[in-house]
Amino acid sequence: MFNFITDLARYNDLMLSGLLETLYMVAMSLFFAIVGGIPLGVLTTITRPGHILPNKPFNFILDGIINIGRSIPFIILMVAVIPLTRMIVGTSIGTNAAVVPLSLAAIPFMGRVTDNAILEIDHGVVESAQSMGASPMQIVFKVLLPESLPAIILGLTLTAISLVSYSAMAGAIGGGGLGDIAIRYGYQRFQLPIMVETIVVLVIMVQFIQFFGNQIASFFDHRS
Amino acid sequence: MIKIENLTKHYHVAQGKVEAINGLNLEVADGEIFGMIGPSGAGKSTLIRMLNLLEKPTAGTININGTDLTELSSQNLRTARQKIGMIFQHFNLLSSRTVVGNVAFPLEIAGVKKKERRKKAKELIELVGLSDRADHYPAQLSGGQKQRVGIARALANNPDLLLSDEATSSLDPESTKAVLELLGKIRDEMNLTIILITHEMGVIKDICDRVAVLESGKIIEEGKIIDIFSRPQQSLTKKFISSVIDFDLPERIIKHVKAERPGELIRVSFVGETTNDPHISDLVKHYSVDANILYGNIDEIQGVPFGTLVLDLEGQLTNIEESISYLRSKDLRVEVLEDV
Repeated sequence: MFNFITDLARYNDLMLSGLLETLYMVAMSLFFAIVGGIPLGVLTTITRPGHILPNKPFNFILDGIINIGRSIPFIILMVAVIPLTRMIVGTSIGTNAAVVPLSLAAIPFMGRVTDNAILEIDHGVVESAQSMGASPMQIVFKVLLPESLPAIILGLTLTAISLVSYSAMAGAIGGGGLGDIAIRYGYQRFQLPIMVETIVVLVIMVQFIQFFGNQIASFFDHRS
Repeated sequence: MIKIENLTKHYHVAQGKVEAINGLNLEVADGEIFGMIGPSGAGKSTLIRMLNLLEKPTAGTININGTDLTELSSQNLRTARQKIGMIFQHFNLLSSRTVVGNVAFPLEIAGVKKKERRKKAKELIELVGLSDRADHYPAQLSGGQKQRVGIARALANNPDLLLSDEATSSLDPESTKAVLELLGKIRDEMNLTIILITHEMGVIKDICDRVAVLESGKIIEEGKIIDIFSRPQQSLTKKFISSVIDFDLPERIIKHVKAERPGELIRVSFVGETTNDPHISDLVKHYSVDANILYGNIDEIQGVPFGTLVLDLEGQLTNIEESISYLRSKDLRVEVLEDV
């Protein structure tokens, strides 16, 4: 027991930096998921047949991008995009390098989440906006996004949590973060306390993300 | 004025072609409340949704105040739509906006400045009687209140035409009455034209000036409310009317009466002034027939009294025939009830 605690104390700095690295990776890729995934999702929905800008070929391509992106296992994606990562970041090792595959996984995920969130909106609401003479642009920004905001925020929460676990995988190829620590110290050096601590920290982190995600979503939700 | 010519809508579905609306012609005068009634599947919804081009017609023209909507570019159509308000069965309010936000929404689309938007929205909310709910969200309102928000929203850009797509169909009778009264009031105050579709004859009876009966994508009967109610031609029209004013004896009773007694069973309908004169006692006095009243009913359609009597006339056949022509000469509508 004594060893356990001194071990933890000894590795305090290590844990802290690991936590910060994980947060950094999640936050960065979440940012790219928002910037890339939400527009991808919106474009996919509105080009569906019967929606405001139906376009079959375009919809087919976007839907395909989302499906392909989501069907590649993350560990494979991570390795497969190494050349791209090198091109963008200059290296394939470290937290910045991990952000590239993480974002590439998060963008289609967020795209599908957004697509589903917008599809949930009653089509009558869209039609009422059309009947008032709203342009497709106005419908997107004044109807689709505000009406699906609570669902999008919940989706973002889901994405963030997936990213936490993906970022642990990124640790395996030198991405840094808590996952990296768990593998190097906990697994390869048999330091069980470190392993346990990283897990505890990850669990708490996920709880926090879910809690705040729910809070923010319900703040914007006026449906009941 | 609204002039619809040869309006046609065909769909293609897996099972083949569906002819929702077939070469329909219609004129609606300014300031009129025009009702369209029909059973489900008659094409009512398709028709009203074509009037602001939510549904694209296969053929035909929709002329509103001299502009053919079907020929407009999408930009011009959007501008034209700002002058056509629409209310819906399921209200279709934005759940993320308060009452004020919802009513201001069409003004926002039209590019009205924020301050003016708020002012106009507040006025309209007052008009529909929801001032105390201005900052509530739709989820906090009752159905009737939601529809009043829908009406206020539809009026935001001072439309010339208001389209009502089954606006009262999901409301309880009390809210229905209140919403219809509100529609009547805004027609009078804002002098706008209202076209509504419904499957409830009560709605037509309460506020419409004219009505068209729709069946299988065609207008089968059209006219002023009082004319349609007093002289329906088509069986579908009669069916709709009987849902609000029932002037039929049960078939079993007609059979029974006819079996027991000689003579004729007639139904007399009367409208307006003729309700004041004592025609039946005249008939008994002058034509030596006996009149046995089996059924009587008086209703009022938008202030015009309107009634029905079912009489069992007894006496010599020639006398009965003469008395029937007497009633007809007094501008009453007489039908001889046949064996069923």
